[in-house]
Amino acid sequence: MREVGIVGVGHSKFGKMSGGTFSDLLSMAAVQALDDAGVKTGMGHGIDQVFVATMGAGILNKQSGIASALVDYLNLRPAMAETIENGPASGASAIKLGYMAIASGMCDCVLVVGGEMMRVVSGWEGTDFVATMLHPEAEYNYGLTLPAFAGLFTKLCMEKYGITEKDLSIVAVKNHENAVHNPVAHIHVVPNLYCITEDEDAHIMNPYVAEPLRMYHCCPVSDGSAAVLLCAMDKADRFKKKPIKIAGVGSATDTHAVAEREVPTDLLAVRLAAQMAYKMAGLTAQDIDVAELHDAFQILEIVESEEVGFFKRGEGHIAARNGETKIGGIMPINTSGGLKAKGHPLGATGVSQVVEIVKQLRGEATGRQVEGAKAGLCVNFGGFGNNVVATILTKEEA
Amino acid sequence: MMEEKMYAYKCTACGELHHPKHYVCKKCGNREFNEVPLGGEVTLVTYTKVYNLPEGYMKPYMGFGIVKFTNGLVVTGQLEVENPEIGMKLISTVGIVKEGIGKDHFGFIFKTI
Repeated sequence: MREVGIVGVGHSKFGKMSGGTFSDLLSMAAVQALDDAGVKTGMGHGIDQVFVATMGAGILNKQSGIASALVDYLNLRPAMAETIENGPASGASAIKLGYMAIASGMCDCVLVVGGEMMRVVSGWEGTDFVATMLHPEAEYNYGLTLPAFAGLFTKLCMEKYGITEKDLSIVAVKNHENAVHNPVAHIHVVPNLYCITEDEDAHIMNPYVAEPLRMYHCCPVSDGSAAVLLCAMDKADRFKKKPIKIAGVGSATDTHAVAEREVPTDLLAVRLAAQMAYKMAGLTAQDIDVAELHDAFQILEIVESEEVGFFKRGEGHIAARNGETKIGGIMPINTSGGLKAKGHPLGATGVSQVVEIVKQLRGEATGRQVEGAKAGLCVNFGGFGNNVVATILTKEEA
Repeated sequence: MMEEKMYAYKCTACGELHHPKHYVCKKCGNREFNEVPLGGEVTLVTYTKVYNLPEGYMKPYMGFGIVKFTNGLVVTGQLEVENPEIGMKLISTVGIVKEGIGKDHFGFIFKTI
């Protein structure tokens, strides 16, 4: 297999997009990635394949076949183009497919763009749309949603490991603090830990969404896009910047219906995907300097940090309490602000995580840089853990 | 008219119980199942109360629970219990869990014994 690297990254501001089409949103990030790599738009771009990751373009934006539209909009024709849908893990899946296309020798250069324009519908419609990834008969038809499953999961983790609501808020505040230094993050306001946990009005400022999960324990609904340009490492000389290597890729699935899982507090697909990526990269959890973990709900950052091997089972919340996951801690997690504060435009999220790790490994994460970072891990989580993709990036020594 | 019953799906080869329905047995790979009524006493595994409901539910909040049947099957359903606690015994009933256009959806509703 050929080695694959990332030579360009792009990222729109996450939040609420005002004006423009979904194609405009995707194009913003795509063109930034091309500029970052030093690729001229128009003739001679050299891109063989475009993958577009999105979960809701056909439903929310009434635009299916978006990859075909994007290659034309960017005048990248006749590049091959496919749209990839794997729920909230669509972004990392598209990067995985880009990796496979280059590693197999079929392509030399692949553009991956992820995006979502979710704020065009009401909160009710959006919640319903996201819930369609649940099991249709055993879950969706009951009115269950992703926050509902996160509430069920959190309650059980609290009972089993002694995690508290305050622990979830500590993770949330840490991610909001990181997002202040990320210009593309959705939210640049840091909540006060006391005000959202212990103040007499905390229950008003931080109301329940799905008990015991409160508002500050859940990610916002965001519009946004992110893009990466992948290239065969042996063809990377023509680009402006030194490639960041995709050292490991792993993905795994779990039961569709959450209740069927043997241990309801385990995220088995996270563990298996990470193990696969570590094996491919020849690395272990101890070799990772920085990580972007899928914290759509703050409980997920805690449990994922255990499943990928950073902390022992049941101790992720203790590490967060002790500041070990802050920038400057022993294992910085979600330096971008995570889904919690950077935002979570579904199809963009997995690509955005990789963009953040590329910036960290290049030393370009101004204000939130993990000094000397050489290896980073991303975990992109689909469904309520029924399809997970892990990606490991490394900085190659000169 | 839909019968107000819920079922487990028992593999005709190895007897493994499933819910929801699968096309292939998770234990032996067989593709044939018998429907076995699923109800009675359950143990509450975990629960939540949700305030942001999806489109179609005109209520301020709803309770949900994951429960374990005495036969070992674990399922999710709606929870109509005042002060739930993990480990408490409940009764599994069947009722309308979602009103549909021309077709209501029946499912598990867990209640106090």
